[in-house]
Amino acid sequence: MNINKLQEEIRNVFKNVVSKVGKDNRIFLNVQKEQTLNILSFLKNNGFDHLALISCVDWIKENQFEIVYILTSYLLDDERSKTHIILKAKISRKNPEIMSVLPIFENAEFYEREIHELFGVVFNGNNRLIPLFLYRKYEIPPFRKDFDTREYSKNFYDSVLPVEDREK
Amino acid sequence: MDRNKILKWFKEPGKMGHKYSLSAIYFCTGCGIIEVPPVITTRWDAERFGVIPVATPRHANLFLITGYVSIKTLKAIIKTYEMMPDPKFVIGFGSCPINGGMYWDSYNTIKHLDKYIPVDGWIAGCMPRPEAIFIGVTHLWTLIDKEMADGYKKYKEKYKYYRENQEKVLGKLEWEPLFPLEEKEDVK
Repeated sequence: MNINKLQEEIRNVFKNVVSKVGKDNRIFLNVQKEQTLNILSFLKNNGFDHLALISCVDWIKENQFEIVYILTSYLLDDERSKTHIILKAKISRKNPEIMSVLPIFENAEFYEREIHELFGVVFNGNNRLIPLFLYRKYEIPPFRKDFDTREYSKNFYDSVLPVEDREK
Repeated sequence: MDRNKILKWFKEPGKMGHKYSLSAIYFCTGCGIIEVPPVITTRWDAERFGVIPVATPRHANLFLITGYVSIKTLKAIIKTYEMMPDPKFVIGFGSCPINGGMYWDSYNTIKHLDKYIPVDGWIAGCMPRPEAIFIGVTHLWTLIDKEMADGYKKYKEKYKYYRENQEKVLGKLEWEPLFPLEEKEDVK
């Protein structure tokens, strides 16, 4: 299957999807957040059976998070095997909620837990959004752009006094 | 063997034994551990200096902190340090345990390791060469000779403050204090 053919097919099935082809056989799809599950299951049925990554971008000036799904294929017989599909959905920063893709891709669980911990995005349908990496609790999730990491480390780690000073 | 040292061996056999047979705990923190395999194997052969890696903290008396210390790692470091038998020596290896290094403004990396456990010596650099470990070890010999490598004694004396600092970062620690926190009154 050709890339352009695949793109046409996606456009025919799903309206208001903005797609473009980038370098090295990459297809970028900008979708609404309600559409994500449908498009992902459509792509999975079309041979893109491997979810390589879920990641998150904080666009603080636009007041939005962008959730990025990267799909590849294990099929080896045609052009699809060399294609990456990059699917982007924007969600609001005030109420960051999106449907979990666990029913389609099981390996999404840990990516979603990581994003929940570091960005505070809630994935509806994932029941194991428990702490993964961090030991301490932070008021603002630490990967958000408005978390001032320099000030935090200054206020917190420098407030622990050396033992020699504490005796005085 | 150096004949001049024979008298020393008879005088202080324990100290000389500790000095020339350092058993380093093979605990991997951060990126500096990449320097340790060539140091202990044939390329730089640490056994020339009496340093060998051991598997468990119960057998060790030298603790190399090789790299940045995140909060979770600090907990493991404290546990490991408290398991080691006396006398024990800690060397901070690389810039990160000294003052944070390139992680000086990180939200998750403690900056000064010596606020939480006593450290006998530092090897600065990012990364230090393997030869720097041997220079550090020979300096440690001098410190042991002069009885200046007394971090483990300091830990016992000032355990209250160390424990307070540890609990400030880690929250309530789930294990019992290693030494009594309150000073006992003398029984008359």
